[in-house]
Amino acid sequence: MTDRVDGRLKVTGAATYAADNRLDRLAYGYLVTSTVARGTIVSMDTAAASKAPGVLAVYTPFDPLKLYRYTKEQNDELTPPLQDKNVRYFGQAIGLVVAETFEQARDAASLIQVRYDARPAAASFHDGLASATDPPSGSPISEVLAPGVGSIDDALNASEITVSATYTASMQNHNAMEPHPTVAAWDGDHLTLYTATQGVMLVVARIAEALGIDTSKIHVRNPYVGGGFGNKWGIWAHTPLTAAAARALGRPVKTALTREQTFTVVGHRPASQQTVSLGAARDGTLKAIKNDGVSSKSASNGFYEPVANLCLSMYASPNIRVSRKIVTLDVPVTTIMRAPQEANGSFALESAVDELAVKLGMDPLELRRKNDSPVVPSSGLPWSSKHLDECYRIGAERFGWSRRRPTPGAVTDGDWLVGLGMATATYGASRAQASVKVRLLAGGTAVVSGTGADLGTGQSTVWAILAAESLGIPVGRIRPDLGDSSSPVAANAGGSGSTSTNGPAVQLATEAAKTAMIALAVQDERSPFHGKAADSVRFEDGRLKAGDLSVPFGSLLTSLDVPGVEATATSAKNGDKTHGFRSFGAHFCEVRVNAWTGEPRVSRWLTVLDAGRIVNEKTARNQIIGGVVMGIGHALLEETRLEPATGRIANADLASYLVPVNADIPRIDVHFLDYPDTLLSPLGARGIGEFGIVGAAGAVANAIYNATGKRVRDLPITLEKLLT
Amino acid sequence: MGGETPRGGGLSRRRFFGTTAAASAGVVLTTAPAPAARAADDDGAVDVAITVNGTAEKLHVDPRVTLLDALRERLGLTGTKKGCDRGQCGACTVHVDGRRVLSCLTLAATADGRKVTTIEGLADGDDLHPVQRAFVECDGFQCGFCTSGQIMSAAALLKEGHAWTDEEIREAMSGNICRCGAYPGIVEAIKTARRAD
Repeated sequence: MTDRVDGRLKVTGAATYAADNRLDRLAYGYLVTSTVARGTIVSMDTAAASKAPGVLAVYTPFDPLKLYRYTKEQNDELTPPLQDKNVRYFGQAIGLVVAETFEQARDAASLIQVRYDARPAAASFHDGLASATDPPSGSPISEVLAPGVGSIDDALNASEITVSATYTASMQNHNAMEPHPTVAAWDGDHLTLYTATQGVMLVVARIAEALGIDTSKIHVRNPYVGGGFGNKWGIWAHTPLTAAAARALGRPVKTALTREQTFTVVGHRPASQQTVSLGAARDGTLKAIKNDGVSSKSASNGFYEPVANLCLSMYASPNIRVSRKIVTLDVPVTTIMRAPQEANGSFALESAVDELAVKLGMDPLELRRKNDSPVVPSSGLPWSSKHLDECYRIGAERFGWSRRRPTPGAVTDGDWLVGLGMATATYGASRAQASVKVRLLAGGTAVVSGTGADLGTGQSTVWAILAAESLGIPVGRIRPDLGDSSSPVAANAGGSGSTSTNGPAVQLATEAAKTAMIALAVQDERSPFHGKAADSVRFEDGRLKAGDLSVPFGSLLTSLDVPGVEATATSAKNGDKTHGFRSFGAHFCEVRVNAWTGEPRVSRWLTVLDAGRIVNEKTARNQIIGGVVMGIGHALLEETRLEPATGRIANADLASYLVPVNADIPRIDVHFLDYPDTLLSPLGARGIGEFGIVGAAGAVANAIYNATGKRVRDLPITLEKLLT
Repeated sequence: MGGETPRGGGLSRRRFFGTTAAASAGVVLTTAPAPAARAADDDGAVDVAITVNGTAEKLHVDPRVTLLDALRERLGLTGTKKGCDRGQCGACTVHVDGRRVLSCLTLAATADGRKVTTIEGLADGDDLHPVQRAFVECDGFQCGFCTSGQIMSAAALLKEGHAWTDEEIREAMSGNICRCGAYPGIVEAIKTARRAD
């Protein structure tokens, strides 16, 4: 239970986020955004803006900053801003004003008059469902059928009990608290960028391409990130524009998006629909799972959510079929958001399983236990380490699941209907390649560096703990150095892969640094270990030891007049093709629904999960809680409302796009099992960034059914849906 | 939207909102009569004298500058964060004359003559304020971006002398959004700090 290593900096306001970098002669950029959803810009009258006090430059498609074409898609835009006059969505970046102050830039931006040749835009997911198409790449269908079974529908028809229903979920916006700032400064032909990102190397790659400069000329620094949730993976319009403007003007420029702009200039989670059919025997054994998934996709890029895919990995069934279709819309970019496809996928599947339990007259927890699969249902490969049944068992016991009344509406407390619900939590695990450097310093401290990012996940604390463990010194003597593109290339923060990928690299690099330290000790003539065989010297408790000799490494470096010894190590990607790697757990919750107003309130929560080794329970618990909180928002509050007629987002602010506030969240209990997944890595940690949100909305929906008898299949479950 | 074409009249939507925001900020701060606003110079700027974390500061600023941007961009106190710039998230919370105030909805000019405390001024030298200590101990944050505002709100809350139950603390802290969802830790931290007081 280690406190965050950056805790003191964060509670004193001393952690430097991207927008906090104050540079000499800093100028301020302000984006101009489109007010139609589709069409061509006919003209932009910038005369008044250009003459406004303090204005240094006004860039538009008629007077652009040159940016080169994007050749790689990174879940963001396919085209750089201002290089053509096409408007592809409402709120698209179509100009940048740079002025001496923020106030001057903002005011001048409001003076620009834009004329459009507007065309009708497709902005309704619902209207587009009838003409949904196959996705741009990949197979539209994945199917597993038992021998002799002709089709999934045959398997469903042959099942004794079936349920079938359609589940929908709204567009969502990430709304990280830090609204995407970029500060750019040039020194000759060398660019330094302070920009909020989940991966500094993603920025380097995109900016090198867009500005046509060599990657070696770009230095990206972003040690503290004000939340990401997927939205700081892509590199959005203001970043290359700000870098190019700073080059053109010969002075540093800072551009931060407004909150309203974070709804359009950066991406969102697509809307989705899933039609789920389950077939089972009377004893609850699943015989068929079918899910036809549809996701919205922006016309401006290729990302969509294959929402049905989760059915391939969850419950045992001899017959499974999932399909993927898209509805292409003239809306801002669709992108990854916490547990892409699985947060929505689990809502549909976990609701459907609950509906099947009702029809079978079976406890929904027992139904899940009955269909727990020891192998990956779609491939038959064994799971590397799965302890879901223990999660179910411990969760049920701690939560008091046996006190649940199966009949909806059976429990009331004054004006409140009280229901209990549960769902399975899950997320996939992976280990990619990562390099990390460990440098041992003469003061007896160590620096661990790599290009990874700490979005608030506790990643930097994890690095410090792992290095401290291996060196045998206190965590406080390790300085993690993340978010700097000059470091060895470690994993970006995404896909719950930071700890599973970077953790083993930290361990390897620390071991390599110890070996380098011993090599110096036995080779240097001034060292008391000189001449000894390297394998006779041990590195323990921060000391080098051989026989009676025992010297702290810091003292030894000092006595040798050597400032530091370092080593870089690379941990390879996971090569195991014979197992499935995925975490599983269980959510249990109590929801109260007001009998008169329909207001739903989550009143109690327990999540029990197995994520392999948990390196730091304190930050891990917080991260799971954060996933559950976002899941409660997903279930009850969050909805990006798009006006179908205009393509405008009608609730692009935090007063009308509701995210959970403190009063919406009860005490949340989290219990981790501790089974290191040593098939994934020697460290045995699987990663937890997305795990907590998956299943959370399903658990809430199921508790609401238990409370009220109302099955709401459309997220968010707002009160009017409970009044009908 | 900067690219909006004016709809008749001369007042753009942005300017209209700018005016009303200034008016409402004025209302918030008129609990004690503020010194009369000083006349704008030829350059349109106004002189503002404020005490920030015990240090007297003199600013000559554009009257549109908010207290938040004055602190961050003029005085270099970047611990106070801009999360929404329209009073909806609480990340910019500071104390003005001891009360918690949203610095993004407060024009710097209206803070003339007042005492402002920011997150940088909360600790006593190296000695953290009990709320700061409790936030670390209870892990009442993740990314840290809302944390300055949460802590300034929490410190004021403890002085206000209300919110004794968990439910009341949650309600009283609901003007400060934490998108990372560290709310249970925030509630724990406030209870811990109260015990330590």
